[in-house]
Amino acid sequence: MNLPAGIRNYSYAQDMAIFRTRTQWVMLGLLLVLLITVPLLFGNYWLSIFNIIAITIIGAMGLNLLTGYCGQLSIGHAGFIAVGAYTSAILTGQYEVPFLLGMLGGGLMAGLTGVLFGLPSLRVKGFYLAISTIAAQFIIMWVISQWGSVTGGFVGISVPAAEIFGYRFTSPLSKYYLILAICVIAVFVAKNLARTRQGRAFVAVRDNDLAAQVMGINLFRYKLLAFFTGCFFAGISGALLAHCYYGFLNPEFFSFKESILYVGMIIIGGLGTTVGPIFGVVFIRLLERLISLELVPFLESTITVLPSGWASGVTPMLFGLVIVLFLIIEPRGLAHRWQLFKNSYRLWPFSY
Amino acid sequence: MENHYYPCITRRGFLKGTGMASLVLFIGGIPFLVSACGDQKETIRLGLSTPSTGAAAEKGQVLEHGNKDAIRYINEEKGGVAGYEVELVWMDNGYNASSMVNNVNKFMDSKCLTFGCSSSAMMTAAMTVANQNGFTGLAVYGAPVIYRPPQHIYGQMPDYGDDFVVFAQYYKDNLWNGQGKPTVAMHLLNNSTGYGAHDGAKAKAAEMGFEILEPVFEHTASTTSETTSLNSIRALNPDILYIASTPKPSSVIIKNARELGMTGGDMVIACGHAGMTKALVDLAGADVCEGVYGLFPTVNWDDEAPGMAKVKEYCQKYHSSDYGNMDYIASWCQSLIMAKAAELAVGAVGYETLARGGADAWKAYEDYGIKALDNYDVEGLQGPVSYTPGDNRMSKSLRVFQVQNGNINPVTDWIEAPVIEYEKFDWFGKK
Repeated sequence: MNLPAGIRNYSYAQDMAIFRTRTQWVMLGLLLVLLITVPLLFGNYWLSIFNIIAITIIGAMGLNLLTGYCGQLSIGHAGFIAVGAYTSAILTGQYEVPFLLGMLGGGLMAGLTGVLFGLPSLRVKGFYLAISTIAAQFIIMWVISQWGSVTGGFVGISVPAAEIFGYRFTSPLSKYYLILAICVIAVFVAKNLARTRQGRAFVAVRDNDLAAQVMGINLFRYKLLAFFTGCFFAGISGALLAHCYYGFLNPEFFSFKESILYVGMIIIGGLGTTVGPIFGVVFIRLLERLISLELVPFLESTITVLPSGWASGVTPMLFGLVIVLFLIIEPRGLAHRWQLFKNSYRLWPFSY
Repeated sequence: MENHYYPCITRRGFLKGTGMASLVLFIGGIPFLVSACGDQKETIRLGLSTPSTGAAAEKGQVLEHGNKDAIRYINEEKGGVAGYEVELVWMDNGYNASSMVNNVNKFMDSKCLTFGCSSSAMMTAAMTVANQNGFTGLAVYGAPVIYRPPQHIYGQMPDYGDDFVVFAQYYKDNLWNGQGKPTVAMHLLNNSTGYGAHDGAKAKAAEMGFEILEPVFEHTASTTSETTSLNSIRALNPDILYIASTPKPSSVIIKNARELGMTGGDMVIACGHAGMTKALVDLAGADVCEGVYGLFPTVNWDDEAPGMAKVKEYCQKYHSSDYGNMDYIASWCQSLIMAKAAELAVGAVGYETLARGGADAWKAYEDYGIKALDNYDVEGLQGPVSYTPGDNRMSKSLRVFQVQNGNINPVTDWIEAPVIEYEKFDWFGKK
């Protein structure tokens, strides 16, 4: 990590610390204060947007570990999220398991499902692996929709609200704090996981799996571990979607388009970085909402000479255009732009 | 030598300057913000979300147009609601569940009295948030799972389960002349639209003397061929092929059935109301659709209902491409019903209570608006609307239609669908 001039490390612990300067701690404190006080400034609408952003960040963190760090391309992430969502919903709704255990159960089941569909990664990679993970999405959704006696099939199932020690999280405010807490834990875990022996092994596998194997890294173990970890995060994200966002599950909520968007989020954010998925998720989710929920009604009400409904067609065009332009202008992701900004701020007013 | 002066800008100085500038901008901007918020008209706000983009845009855009034109009609010709202009807060949901959840929250924050939704899938995404907050929603099309057990979501019309029950009764009374139980093969869209009809069949078929053939066949919204499933159905030799789907897949199934020669004998094809629109005839062709039965909860374009003149006038004026599409009438009715309930609520509790928004306003709208609706005729465009305790379907009336010479003509008067307490069945909410 780049440090300001005059900062040195005197121990390994100091060298490994995530936050090392007073400025970094102050910034972290300010960020946490901002996140905690957000509900004082915004209504239910923006809270629900923050909630979906935080839930998506957890899922994207998992995909980033799998794809960004370990190089195993997965285009079936929404399927794994669905596994977590349904498992948690069934455990809590039908077997009356407490929410926290149900959520962990959802994560574990999604992780195991990920391991199952990660097995082809031992023989195939790149586009071929991508195709096998697409298959995972369709197989998972097919099982969910056909196993109606348990999952409610195409009609769907009701999901009980999250409840911890007798407190039910039903208001948007309480849901926000619960989701925020779990999201902060997930980001912290993902950040540290990337710096462990496993994380470094993931990077070695991503950069050159043959070289990694020669160095003694067990590809079988680490690829499947990456699938388990990535899908575990997806499962936790799914459980929160079920209990704290929808309150009802239906196979249509986990479309293939969502899986594609997840890949888009980590690419736009910056693969193989911790802040990348956060930036990517915020960018994509806000773009979706700002275009379809803010811009289109604004255009409709402002330009009244055209027939009503004309602006609806603008949404997909603008969404696609912004993403394409963004990838052309900043192909290394928002995390890279953020790094450039930090470096230039640190050196300013000098260029180098 | 010339001396150049370089200003000494430190990081600390930069931060101070930026902070001061932000503070000045913020404080200076407050008066503008306050003035922008101060000058607001007294309006009645109604929320509406349609899938105008995404997988169901073929229906969503028509539904959006119908609602918007109806609100325009209410404001321009009926003087709004109790003298207050109706302000429609419309949001596209893109047929995306998470967007729909955001939309409901937006409606609540925007002090809308209620919200309308035109897709059963989207209403399932919205209903938990709405029910938890006591925020009333009105679904133009719905599956039983949306309002059984009854909470704060209401059905403007009978649901997809009612379609099956009403058609089964019509078939038995008018078309069936065989021995034993008529057999029904079901071809269902793989979502709540399809399986809502299946719920109705599971609840009532045996009691009404029908046999539902197994397996039940399903299709996707993007299907392009159903010959394989129809070959299996042909082997079962059903008396009725019942299709619960949207127009596009329904047209594929009917075309394939014709190609396989399945409709030459006594077999009858019937469609639920999600598919029985002009779009079906346009997509499949008038010849192919000839004789197909279907259910629909509104009048058709050739009916001489009192409200049809205005529907036709506004449709031709603003959205002529929707002319002939019964979804337009259904959504027009939705806006009329939401406005009528608002009018009743204003009369009962006054504008101020409703304008404040929040839980009190929503409760007042539900108790003194929706629940006070009693035999409201919706200008004759659909079955009369009344609230019945324990039954959140506001209208129970359907008519059976048949495609005749390319037109969708009614073959019955309004038929009332019975209430079915689905929640009492063990299987409800499961496949």
